[in-house]
Amino acid sequence: MQKDSLWQAVLGEIELSVSRGNFLTWFKSTQLLSHDDTTVTVGVPNVFIKQQLERKYNDLISVTLAKNGLNPITIEYKISPLSTTTRAPQFDEPIFVTTTNQEPAGSGAVRASTNNSFSHSYRQGINERYTFDNFIVGAGNELAFAACQSIAQLPGNKYNPLFLYGGVGIGKTHLIQAVGNAISKQNPAAKVLYISTEQFVQEFVDALRFRKTADFASYYRTADVLIVDDIQFIAGKEKMQEEFFHTFNALHQGNRQIIISSDKPPKEIATLEERLRSRFAWGMSIDMQNPDFETRCAIVQTKAQEHDMVLPTDVVEYLATNVQTNIRELEGALNQLLAFCEMRALEPSLEIVSSLLGVSKTRPKHLSAKQIIERTARHFQIPMEEIMGPKRDKDIVVPRQIAMYMLRSELHLSFPKIARELGRKDHTTAIHSVEKIEKESREDAGLRHTLSEIKERLYA
Amino acid sequence: MKLQVTQENLNRALGSVARVANSRNTLPILANVLVKTSSNRLSLSATNLDIAITHYIGAKVSTEGSITVPARLMQDFVNSLPSSVINLELEETKLRVTTDQYRSVVNGIVADDFPVMPAITGGKAWTVNGALLKKGLQQVVFAASSDETRPVLTGVLFHTIDNKLVIAATDSYRLAEKSLGTNKEAIRLLIPASSLHDLLRILGDGGDDVSVTHDEQQVLFRVGDVELVTRLVDGNYPDYQKLIPSGFTSEATLKRSDFVNVTKVSSLFARESAGSVTIEVDEDSGSLSIRSVASQLGENTATAEAKVTGSGSITLNSRYLLDALNALSGDTVSFGFNGKLEPTLLRDPASDDYRHVIMPLKG
Repeated sequence: MQKDSLWQAVLGEIELSVSRGNFLTWFKSTQLLSHDDTTVTVGVPNVFIKQQLERKYNDLISVTLAKNGLNPITIEYKISPLSTTTRAPQFDEPIFVTTTNQEPAGSGAVRASTNNSFSHSYRQGINERYTFDNFIVGAGNELAFAACQSIAQLPGNKYNPLFLYGGVGIGKTHLIQAVGNAISKQNPAAKVLYISTEQFVQEFVDALRFRKTADFASYYRTADVLIVDDIQFIAGKEKMQEEFFHTFNALHQGNRQIIISSDKPPKEIATLEERLRSRFAWGMSIDMQNPDFETRCAIVQTKAQEHDMVLPTDVVEYLATNVQTNIRELEGALNQLLAFCEMRALEPSLEIVSSLLGVSKTRPKHLSAKQIIERTARHFQIPMEEIMGPKRDKDIVVPRQIAMYMLRSELHLSFPKIARELGRKDHTTAIHSVEKIEKESREDAGLRHTLSEIKERLYA
Repeated sequence: MKLQVTQENLNRALGSVARVANSRNTLPILANVLVKTSSNRLSLSATNLDIAITHYIGAKVSTEGSITVPARLMQDFVNSLPSSVINLELEETKLRVTTDQYRSVVNGIVADDFPVMPAITGGKAWTVNGALLKKGLQQVVFAASSDETRPVLTGVLFHTIDNKLVIAATDSYRLAEKSLGTNKEAIRLLIPASSLHDLLRILGDGGDDVSVTHDEQQVLFRVGDVELVTRLVDGNYPDYQKLIPSGFTSEATLKRSDFVNVTKVSSLFARESAGSVTIEVDEDSGSLSIRSVASQLGENTATAEAKVTGSGSITLNSRYLLDALNALSGDTVSFGFNGKLEPTLLRDPASDDYRHVIMPLKG
């Protein structure tokens, strides 16, 4: 039997006969160094464990070894550096490093470590499908796209850290992974790490559990490019934030590129530590907006092409008009259409798409007018009675107009009905409001942002 | 187990061992302290598997025995008892603690489950003066690194050079080295700085000798009635001595209190720039001035009188500078440096025992 599997079998049996705490403390990080007929040598991480095994568990180990076919005369315990987790580079490295803003924090030394024992078996890594070539650039994301491209050319020099934020399904993940792919392609030796915050937290917890925090830290601190997705999930996890803070500093000082995505700007992530917040805002923060109509059309066409289909213009426009919330849904609707057509061997047409999506497009069943008004009021933090009431102050009139616009655009209510929902008698007020918001939202990015935020909350 | 012990003794012993017991460990019993009789003495021990401390106190033992009890609870409880005689009596796994006024029962875990306390058989033995060791550790240990990715630098090196015991620590930005007088035994040990913090707590102000025993894996310090055993750090310590500069193009000698004051003031303006301050020494005017700039707040130049040979300037981290100045003990300090990126040296001109090296910042 192989040494490792033999020892695994021994440990497996021992695990059953001692308590979990004892097993983790005394046996977990041992290994079988060598064995012959007379002697078995067990590697242990430190002297405390060595003495414990020698004096307390020797019999147990001896019996268990016998069950597995080994009857040595003596069992030796040897402190074996390989079984400790803290075997960092120790030779041919300079002790002193000049502290500068260029290349400090012992990064030179840390980077030398290549033999990393930290397990990353569940790492998903970067999806090669996401590239710059298949990213569709439009008004809402051209700034983010340009920043990412310039980072891909010269990582670490410009826009560091890059902080991308925006709602769900508008291409943040695609874009940051595209940066990773582009850098890997240019320089295959570069260490590009992509990780979602949830995974990062999970690995950190595991590292704490198995006492491998040093490995964890060095693994991330040796990255050339660190891409962290959905950082908002780090909120409220203090120890995690601290660890991330140190990782961030080590990388940033070493001029390694850091790319972060989130669904909110740093200042709106609640319970984020101040020092992290200020660091996130340090480089460049870019707001990714929902794609506009033309971009949505382009997306539909490109995606259809990927499936070797060419859609008629009216179908494309229908999809782009009726699925506005985010790209993921748009892609979903398109896939639904394509699958339907493929199964029935039909050509995509306006009738098919409208019959397919018609149900989902007309007013969503779970949404009521009251919910929309309430959500709008809450967004502006004014009581619902005020919106329904007679007041004509500016800070109430605007939310009221937005509520009317939302009722029209989301529920497709008639103007008289909209007026009634808001306690107005005259439907011309509703017409005016909806037109006004429609017009202003075309020019005012702030308003567009507000609208999409309310919408997102509604459908969340 | 049945015995009598004074509150003072028990409290003192718990004070020195309880901090090592740690409830965050995977093994619950490590949060306990082992209470054990041995002839007419009582020993209290705790360990976190990096370090183990045992404190022996006198007691009137009627029946021998041993038990482990939660360290924090026991410490807080005994600490709040009045100064009197405490009776300890064991009933199965319950430790009955009684005084004239208080009666309590503490649930324990059997002593057999407690880790084997490390023992050193053979190995080298030597002694060092307690007061000297304490002072030396205070001057050196803080310079060790806390970065676990370079484990060697988290240790403090104890070694002998020309029959002298020398301790040194570095975090790769600064280095502190102290000579602790003659030692016949040739040694080379790398002791975790964290364990030395615990040793510092145990070292009293008395100048009693500390006896030390060590083998390849562990070292034992015996201070009076307390024994501390710690694992050693594995690895080769870098040859730091060649980095300590001996000649300087510029050197300033001044009163230590003056140097501390100007550094403190300048550091206020250096918060924004990670503590970076520029030190300028001028031979003609006989002065050392420190300049710091905060783009938002303003700037500051503080000057002190100094004896200077060779004018020049260099940029350092003010926090490291302050740490070094506070670690030095003489009235005067001399500060020498060479090129902009060469290591700088702080020392007491009246004594060669302590040397402190700081790497400059790239300006």
